[in-house]
Amino acid sequence: MLHRLSLRVLTLVILWMGLGVLKLDDMSESGFFLQGAVFSFLILAGALFEIFFCYQGDPYLLPVVQTILAIGLVFLARINPAQAADQFIWANLGLIIYYAVFFILRDYRKLGEYQYLWGMLALLMLLLTLIFGTTINGATSWFRFAGVGFQPEELVKVALLLFLASYLSDNKELLRFGTIQVGRLSLPDAKTMGPFVFIGVFVLGLLGAQKSLGTALVFFLLMVFILYVATERLLYLVVSVPLVMATGAAGYFLFDHVRVRVATWINPWLDASGGAYQISQSIFAISGGRLLGTGLGNGIGAYQIPNADTDFIFSVIAEEIGFIGAMAIISLFIIVVMRCFCVSTRAVDRFGQILAAGIGILIGVEALIILAGVTKMLPLTGLPLPWMSYGGSSMVGHFLLLGILAGISHSSAFSVSQIPIGKQADAL
Amino acid sequence: MNNGIRKIALIMVFSFVFLSLGLVYWQVVKADEMLDNPANRRAVYLEERITRGGIFDRNGVVLAKTEQTADGKVRTYPQGEMFEPLLGYATVKYGSAGLEATEAETLLGMKNPSILRRIQNAFELQRTGNDLILTLDSRLQETAYQSLQGKTGAVVAIDPQNGDVLALVSQPSYDAGAIEQDWDKIIAEEDSPLVNHAFSLFPPGSIMKVITSAAIFQAGLDTTELYDCEGSTVINGQTIQEQNDKAHGWVNYDLALAYSCNTYFAQYGIKAGVNHFLEAVSNFGFGRDIPFDQYVPISSITRDDPLPENLSLNLFAESTFGQGQVMVSPFHMALITAGVANDGKIMVPHLIDSVLDSKQNSIYRRTPEVWLTPLSKEEAEKITSGMVLAVNKGTASPGAISGAQIAAKTGSAEPGGDGDTHAWYIAFAPAENPEIAVAVLVEHGGTGGGAAAPIAKAVIEKALELKEGEN
Repeated sequence: MLHRLSLRVLTLVILWMGLGVLKLDDMSESGFFLQGAVFSFLILAGALFEIFFCYQGDPYLLPVVQTILAIGLVFLARINPAQAADQFIWANLGLIIYYAVFFILRDYRKLGEYQYLWGMLALLMLLLTLIFGTTINGATSWFRFAGVGFQPEELVKVALLLFLASYLSDNKELLRFGTIQVGRLSLPDAKTMGPFVFIGVFVLGLLGAQKSLGTALVFFLLMVFILYVATERLLYLVVSVPLVMATGAAGYFLFDHVRVRVATWINPWLDASGGAYQISQSIFAISGGRLLGTGLGNGIGAYQIPNADTDFIFSVIAEEIGFIGAMAIISLFIIVVMRCFCVSTRAVDRFGQILAAGIGILIGVEALIILAGVTKMLPLTGLPLPWMSYGGSSMVGHFLLLGILAGISHSSAFSVSQIPIGKQADAL
Repeated sequence: MNNGIRKIALIMVFSFVFLSLGLVYWQVVKADEMLDNPANRRAVYLEERITRGGIFDRNGVVLAKTEQTADGKVRTYPQGEMFEPLLGYATVKYGSAGLEATEAETLLGMKNPSILRRIQNAFELQRTGNDLILTLDSRLQETAYQSLQGKTGAVVAIDPQNGDVLALVSQPSYDAGAIEQDWDKIIAEEDSPLVNHAFSLFPPGSIMKVITSAAIFQAGLDTTELYDCEGSTVINGQTIQEQNDKAHGWVNYDLALAYSCNTYFAQYGIKAGVNHFLEAVSNFGFGRDIPFDQYVPISSITRDDPLPENLSLNLFAESTFGQGQVMVSPFHMALITAGVANDGKIMVPHLIDSVLDSKQNSIYRRTPEVWLTPLSKEEAEKITSGMVLAVNKGTASPGAISGAQIAAKTGSAEPGGDGDTHAWYIAFAPAENPEIAVAVLVEHGGTGGGAAAPIAKAVIEKALELKEGEN
């Protein structure tokens, strides 16, 4: 119990120290103290809720995510106080959603029963966005509803994951061993592979049509990796490499802004004030941070980098708390991803196993792609950094997934201990 | 299935590790390079938050400081034009130049901060940079500036014993305090006031003979041998003329240097051989980067190669007395003079005496060290005696002062094309125990004795007077 609380207290110390430093530098308004208090209350109340309901799941996942969230909130308060106020609301809502999902969804296995519903829902959401959505920064991925912008693709992630997990848990063997012999390879038949390919091609096609290429890349890698995890067939990984290259090349020739991104990725200094402004400012900010950083609130990147509150929040963090701070953030993400995989290996059923692994893969791939983008290791693709970047849709989507994960984790610990000795192997 | 998860987990961890290597690359390896990138406005914005440190002369006279006014920070230069363009300027609109640019990181306190400083930086938003204490003496600078005013050229005075730059004037100059208002006028002006003429290249003319002397000694030629100067001589079909075709008659080495005899140095230089000549110029720093806080272009023997492997006979003959394609900066010439004065040892030149942080703790102090040793003590003494004779009996006599013996050499260099010759004068004093070495260049000033000598004389007199005041 003490252990559970101490991690939360540590998170809150980070939050309040950060807000305090900003206050001392006159860089934030006092409004955050109320917001922060509500947030702190929810964190502590959540911990008590877990104790009260005897939560047996992974003890590190939520505290680490909350730490990432707290650091993100501090930096948003520093970069753009107005948006930080919104983000506090989203964060509080996210925590409530997390506990609600965990509490209401007593048996996550029910989610696996609606696999085609999830697949269709994912397609429908993307289709509606394409038709009725608004275009921001070149990508048609926004819905404006009652004055609040919303990115359906964040919820598509949830639906797609649920579809993939239930589909793969049903068809694992068929996909693994195959039924058709082609030379020395045995491949699954069209009927087995059909739904996966159908959903995959349509989801990626729709995202391509929306020009949300970063999200498309995330979904593609998610599908390939989750297929590999479920089947352990290297073939699926190998086949994906030429596919990525072909789609990348197609994107390069089809879309102007992809060509610009690639050109500025190869040499940002040629056009550092034009097309390469974002990436070069991001690099300048990161390298300006050096080992220890400029100090919270002292950086230049927060004013210089466009979208410092969303895609480039990591560059601002790397500038102001330096290499040491940036490594801390990366470590937190590694912990989250690894804990997801831990939950996966301990899950009692195949659906839960694949779903937990999928959530880990999704978070890891998202973080890697955007972090590699802002550090110029990959061409830049606009993606939010989970729990850090400003954005309600991403917050809600990720807390939904985390809530489901808590359910998987909880029931694995709970179920195995409840099953009489000798029958546990059957359940597994 | 667990096996697959493990492999994917491994891929993920490996990717994150790779990502952190990317951070090491940007935040450690490339950090300095990125700060210098022209598209990176970071330094300018940081500067708005940091109070730039002051610049002072060796006696604490304020040369540049930042004042806080109601409208924000203002950089002022109380000495006006005197220290420009050496000091340079620092503006948001036009960037920075001169010392203000090259020492920006020091003045802003961003260069190699201590751990304590870093922690302070992390918590203080408003902070003060470091102060620069220069080796310049504003009293000497003023004399040099006053003497050169109205002309185009440069004066450089160096303490030969430790390499301290005591005065460095370039004309024309400008008022850095009014740079933003006067910008258009300044850049339109002839002879470009923004360019530091002390760090520009000019043909040296006869002052080159000091260097050719080293080649003559090092080839082991007899310097007491007499040579009959007839006013001109023909080498390989090329006529070498004396100034005004004056025949100097029978001269030995000392008299040849004193009278500035072109034919002697051409004949004896060729006798010494091109290898000795090229070795001597290399030992004096031609074709080398000068270790200095400011950028000084490399002095060169030919247009194509600063330090060629070989020279054609005709070009070699011209080079011995500083014509042909030889180019040297007044700053380098002052170093060469200081080397002769300091028993053949050229000290590393210093413009920055020390750096003080905002709490007035010294965080850098220069240490005297030898840069090059082009001459032995005996060779330096031989050149000195020739230069003393030049002052007492020869072309350099307009620079003579009462109360101290000076050693000097004149130069009147053909600039190429029309126009008067560039007037050079290099000197040091007192000859027996030198305390100051000076190089003066007046562009298109005519003869060295006429145009440049009085300026050097004034500077040396002032320097010796100040020295006496100290003792």
